Formats: sequence, C-alpha cells, structure tokens
Amino acid sequence: MSDTIIRFKNVSKTYILYKNDQARFKALFIKPRNPKTNRALNNVSFEIARGESVGIVGDNGAGKSTLLKMITGVAFPDEGEIFVDGKVAALLELTAGFSMEMTGRENIYLKGYILGLEDDYIKEIEEQIIEFAELGDYIDQPVRTYSSGMKMRLGFAINVNIEPDVLVIDEALAVGDASFKRKCKDKIKEIIEAGTTVLYVSHTASSVKEICPRSIYLRKGAVIYDGNTEDTLKVYNDYKESVKNKKKK
Amino acid sequence: MSKSGNKFVEWITSIPNEHKGFGKQIMLLSKNELIKTYKGAVIGPLWAVVKPAFTVFVYWFAFSVGIKKLRDVGVNLGGPEAFSIDFFTFMFVGIIPWFFIQDSIVQGSKTLRTNRQFITKVKFPVSTILTYTGLSRLYVHLFLAIIMYGYVVFHRVAGGLPPVSVYDLQFFLYCPLMFMFFLALSWSTAPMAAFSKDFESLIVSVMSGIFWLSGIMYDSYSFKGFLKYAMLINPINFFANGYRNCFLYNRWFFEYKTEFVIFMVEFIVVFILGIYNYNRLRKKLPDVL
Repeated sequence: MSDTIIRFKNVSKTYILYKNDQARFKALFIKPRNPKTNRALNNVSFEIARGESVGIVGDNGAGKSTLLKMITGVAFPDEGEIFVDGKVAALLELTAGFSMEMTGRENIYLKGYILGLEDDYIKEIEEQIIEFAELGDYIDQPVRTYSSGMKMRLGFAINVNIEPDVLVIDEALAVGDASFKRKCKDKIKEIIEAGTTVLYVSHTASSVKEICPRSIYLRKGAVIYDGNTEDTLKVYNDYKESVKNKKKK
Repeated sequence: MSKSGNKFVEWITSIPNEHKGFGKQIMLLSKNELIKTYKGAVIGPLWAVVKPAFTVFVYWFAFSVGIKKLRDVGVNLGGPEAFSIDFFTFMFVGIIPWFFIQDSIVQGSKTLRTNRQFITKVKFPVSTILTYTGLSRLYVHLFLAIIMYGYVVFHRVAGGLPPVSVYDLQFFLYCPLMFMFFLALSWSTAPMAAFSKDFESLIVSVMSGIFWLSGIMYDSYSFKGFLKYAMLINPINFFANGYRNCFLYNRWFFEYKTEFVIFMVEFIVVFILGIYNYNRLRKKLPDVL
C-alpha cells in the first residue's frame, strides 16, 4: 500500500455546457436546472505504484487530458478521491506557466516555487537547467524575447531537471530541432531508468509498447481495460476495427 | 460531526493555506507585476505619478477654478466648532486612497482572467494571484502616499503648524486595513468575473458612479438625517475620511464609533463572503477560463 504513488478512487468529472453567456452569468447566483453536461470521466479507479511506467491510450475526447490535468493538480474531480504523492513534472504544454516579462532565470525560480522547492535546491539545479536548455546568455533576457523553440527548451529543461517523482509525457510533444529531440529522448529514458513513475499518453500503439509494460485504455471517460500493454492495445485495436467495419456496412 | 467540522476548518483555512510557503514567490511576482505594468514606456514608472497627478489637476481645475463656489470645504466633526480646509488639500488627501481603491476593484476583478495561464496550465495557489497583484498596486499607492505626505508636511509648515503629528501614525492602520478589505473583496469578484464577462463589465461600468457617490470630492459627513447614515455604509468613505483623520482632522479612528463599527461589520461580511465565493468557484475556474 505504501508504495502507491497515484490513486484514483471512483473519480468522476462533469463539464457543464452553458447555452450562452447569459446562462453562465445566471449560474453564478442560481444553480442551473437540467443543464447540458459532458461527462469527461466516469467512475475511474486505478492505482499506480512507485516506479511504474503506465501508458494511457484512447481516442480524442476519451478523457485523457482531463485525467492528466487532475494528476498535475490543475483540474479537480466532482466526485471521488485523487491521491498523488510527490512532485509531478508535466511535459505537456511546456511554455505554460511562464511569466513573459521575467527573465529565464527568474522563471526557473518561479517554476521551482510552484513545485514547492527551496531556494538552495533551485540554485543547485539552476546551472544544469541552463546548460540543458542551451540558452547561453539569453537566460537573463525576458522570456518574451525568446523564440518558441527556446521557450520549449527551457520548459523541458526545468521539468526534467527537478528530479520529479512522477513524469507525465504527451507523445505529441515537439521540442526543437532533431538533435535536441534526441537529447530529450535520452533524458526521458534516463529518468525512466532511474525509477521515476511515468505516465505516457499516446494515440499510437508502437511508442507505448516501447516504454510502458502496463497501459490503461480509456473510452468515453471510462476505463475499458487496464493491464498488460499488449492486451490493452489488442482491445483498443479490436474496438477501432469494429468501428471501421460498422462504418463500412 | 467531526467530519463536517474538519470540512469547515478546511474551508476557512483554504486561502491562508494556499499562501503558506509561497511568500518568496508572491514577492517575486508582485515585483514582476509592477515592472510589467510600466515596462516599455519611455518614462516608465513615472506614469504611476503622471496619471494621478493629471487627474488631481483636472478635478482641482474643474472645482476650484471652474466652479468657483467650491474653494473651501467646511468640515464639522460633530463638535461645536466647524473648520474649513482649502478644497485642493481636502480633495488630494481623499483621492490618494481612491486611486488605490479604484484600481483594486477594477483590476482586482480582472486579475484571474489576465493570469489564466497560472490557473489552466499549471498547479498554482490561485488566491496568491490576487495577493501579488494587490501588492504591486500597494507599492504604487505607498509611493503616492509619500508624495502626499510631503505635501501635507509642506502645507502644515506653511500654515504655521508643526510638520508632523501623532495622528499621522494611523496611516499604518488605515493602509493595511484598506489593502485587506479590497483583497477580501476580490476573493468574491475575481472568480465571479472570471466566470462571466458580464460581471466584469458590470463592475467597470459602475465605478465612475461609485466615485461620485463617495466622499472624495465632497465631505460625506456634511449630510443630515437619513443620508448621513447612508454615507456611512459606503466603505470607501471610511478610507477617504480615515486618511483625512490622519493628516487633516487630527482625529483618532475610534472617535467616531458608529463609523468604525459599521465598517468593521462590513469588513467581516466581505471577508466571509470572499471565502465562501472563492471556495465555491475555485475548483470550477480551470473549466471556465
């Protein structure tokens, strides 16, 4: 029990779709009656042990993003309990949470504070981050002057160098040029080998197989299958096939 | 029982808990916010002075030069003797807190929308956003207050009075109280404005009305009967008159008990409503922004 790092217990989340701005204004004061809703997660339960690498597969709108947002602590469930133990680094939207007018160096501290790190510790990893991001003298310039590639590099460098307990990766992630991409892949591998818990999100099968022995398949907000990646992908592909066949008919 | 008790404690401590351990971050961000506001302008931070200075000039011109009748303001604090203060001094001391109040209400309600990247993209103690933006406004206010104090000292010396007075110290009561009051107000308004743009527009459109309903340009004590009490309900009057208590009236904050008690009751109500609205809407914010 003690080595569980992430636990979802009967987690549900419903988004309310307001008809228009008026309805939204009204909802501030009165609870809307029979609003249109979108159930993004439906009674989701699972546990992930420390050091495990888990893939999350599913089509668009299956609830993957919502699930990740909950793990990173951005979104909150309507029902159920979520338990996450430790620092979460998210390689999702790397440029998110930067303050554009602050320098790269100040943003390192800012991100560090958000993750609850101490000054001394940030000072220790500061040089490491700057070196990894290959920013050179730009580190003391405001982030607003950075190119989008530089911003991403900085975001990536911060997230992988804080020694996270949980690393959330979106496969669609694109970071800079080919050589930097390779550097990122190596770093991610290194982190995984160091025993960090990894959550890997993907639409495609092959890359999940490479990294994660276990996978969770989400469809319409519910966990359809949770287990061995081979089996999960089989269920996922079977479903895709059946949909295709239906369409053909 | 204990579970609902726990829930209540969690509810009431949610905002302080979000601030715990984030002191340095709040200071860093408030400094940054200040830089952000004035960066890119040639005279930079001087704008913090130029804009209010021009506003003060316009009001002085309109009322002292244009409408000539309003040269002096007669003030009766309830004692037998009324005294008069020249209009500019009276208005200047009252309008300095108003600048802070106006910015706090308008900008305060917009804050969460303009800082949405901290809400929808990363895990962030959301209530500290209101604190650090509030602090950056407080820095500007303190700067303006120093200029105002310089004027007050000059005015006293010119009138043959001692340059400083013990009543001045009340600034350190009124100023933090003002900061806290409008911070607590933004706990309600900011999440609501984030939810609905109409609410934000509503606040912006009533602001200039609120200015004229408050005793900035005139003495809110000068009314009789029902209106006299109606004016006490407006917390902005409490601060405008409070600053005048410090620098012009030589009066302690507890001397007008009715005013002080009404304000404190309002403060508690705003505080509790703020915590209630913040907790009610906090977890929905990432979904609507």
